[in-house]
Amino acid sequence: MKITFFRYFVRQAMRNMAENRLVHLIGLGTMVIAFLMFDAFILIFVNLNSWTQEQGRSLTMSIYLKGEPERAVIESIKKELLQYPVSITDFISKEDALKSLRKQLGEKAGLLDGLGENPLPASLEIVLSRDVSGDSLPYELKTTLERINGVDEVQYSQEWVEKFQAIMGAVRIIGLVFGGLLFLAALFIITNTVKLTIYSRKDEIEILKLVGATNRFVKIPFLVEGSIQGFLGGSVALIVLFLVYVAIMTKVDLSIGFASLDIIFLSPQFILLLLLMSSIIGFIGSTVSLGRFFRI
Amino acid sequence: MIRLFHVYKSFGSKNPALIDISLTVPKGEFVFVTGPSGAGKTTLLKIIFCAEKPTSGHALVDGRNLMRIKDGELSSLRRRIGVVFQDFKLLPLRTVFENVALSLEVMGVPSSIIRKKVHQTLRYLGLADKEGYYPPQLSGGEQQRIAIARAIVNNPLILLADEPTGNLDYDLTMETMALLKEIHARGTTVIVATHSQELLKGTKRRIIALHKGRMV
Ligand SMILES: Nc1ncnc2c1ncn2[C@@H]1O[C@H](COP(=O)(O)OP(=O)(O)O)[C@@H](O)[C@H]1O
Ligand SMILES: [Mg+2]
Repeated sequence: MKITFFRYFVRQAMRNMAENRLVHLIGLGTMVIAFLMFDAFILIFVNLNSWTQEQGRSLTMSIYLKGEPERAVIESIKKELLQYPVSITDFISKEDALKSLRKQLGEKAGLLDGLGENPLPASLEIVLSRDVSGDSLPYELKTTLERINGVDEVQYSQEWVEKFQAIMGAVRIIGLVFGGLLFLAALFIITNTVKLTIYSRKDEIEILKLVGATNRFVKIPFLVEGSIQGFLGGSVALIVLFLVYVAIMTKVDLSIGFASLDIIFLSPQFILLLLLMSSIIGFIGSTVSLGRFFRI
Repeated sequence: MIRLFHVYKSFGSKNPALIDISLTVPKGEFVFVTGPSGAGKTTLLKIIFCAEKPTSGHALVDGRNLMRIKDGELSSLRRRIGVVFQDFKLLPLRTVFENVALSLEVMGVPSSIIRKKVHQTLRYLGLADKEGYYPPQLSGGEQQRIAIARAIVNNPLILLADEPTGNLDYDLTMETMALLKEIHARGTTVIVATHSQELLKGTKRRIIALHKGRMV
């Protein structure tokens, strides 16, 4: 494409936007809302996703032991564990278990004094050092360890991780539907904005055709216009999202009792992807409205 | 340059606007198309620059068959035909300069050359001091000359003028006709449609007379 054409197309697109400021501003506003919802959803989803994966990665297991464990039992467990990607993080004796329970009970710790014998089992805490989400490894390990004499029971947090992953699956589907709707909404907005500028330029299009413009020459400025609008909508939405994110992270304390929730903002790659997507939506939107116009 | 063979044009169920028109306009000729209002003059010009397709018959312009012309060919053909419309068709929100530049912009002419050619044409038509104005700020005669400027700025092979003196007084009419003759003298094929008998008085040019869509 000749450079003169390129300059003309961009200038024309800018002119379209300037001369239809109000329409564009309203369109931009609505589109920002649509994109903002979409981006916010992506942000939440990405965070939840990485959080679940994190949980799957650092799966902890508790190996409960019968009675007062003998050194030999612990050694045989350790030997067994050598074959697995695990590390032992803690040994909790019956005494330790009771102590920590007392601590948790605080003032009501007196209740425990009535017990003749310490009913709490000793346990070994282990952490699996590789991602086992959707893996049968934890189950295998559980059955193997439970076969060892002196091991009472093995419990692990896999069950709720699996449940959580099922929920994430549902969230993903909802997100897909929801995202699809927002996508259509943005498309609809751009289609109509560009359609309005096309109509406001009807006379000009006619004259351009009469003095020898090709269809392509007439159409390209509108495609540029739609793409710019999509890009602007996407950018503004991301900026707003980022500001909201910063406000939340600095003003609100997100530590909910047990753990502080760390929300990570979208990665640069994701941001680029979203911007590209919004420009493409703009492009498609104007293609649709041009198609309608040129068929009439 | 222009050949029509048994061209018919009808709009819906009404009487046809053109009935069995056959004519040839060789390169470099100056022709009048005349007839009362509603005779079909505008429709004939529209057929020639491909704003309307004949209902039946054949039309050749500059060697191209207008019955089956594609978008790319259509635009390149129109770049060789300058048209001065009856209602001028100027863009009110564009300056005189921008209006005239349109014909060159669609061809992808570099802006430095556009500037040169537009200045040159406006100077030629005595509009050099008006290039920053908007058409509604100008008189009818001036608007019409802008329309002519836009039609000739890219040196077309053919110039079509539809009622170019329609709402001009006597002096301006004479001036405009002189201008069209000058453009013709530079080698352009010129076709002027007019309902004015006065304009044709004493002319030695060829006259195509229409009446209710027929050549008479
Ligand atoms: N687009 C159109 N739709 C319907 N009828 C038309 C159209 N253009 C022209 N006509 C009809 O065709 C006839 C010729 O019109 P026109 O070519 O404009 O005549 P002239 O230019 O000689 O005054 C008229 O009866 C007019 O009403
Ligand atoms: Mg007419």
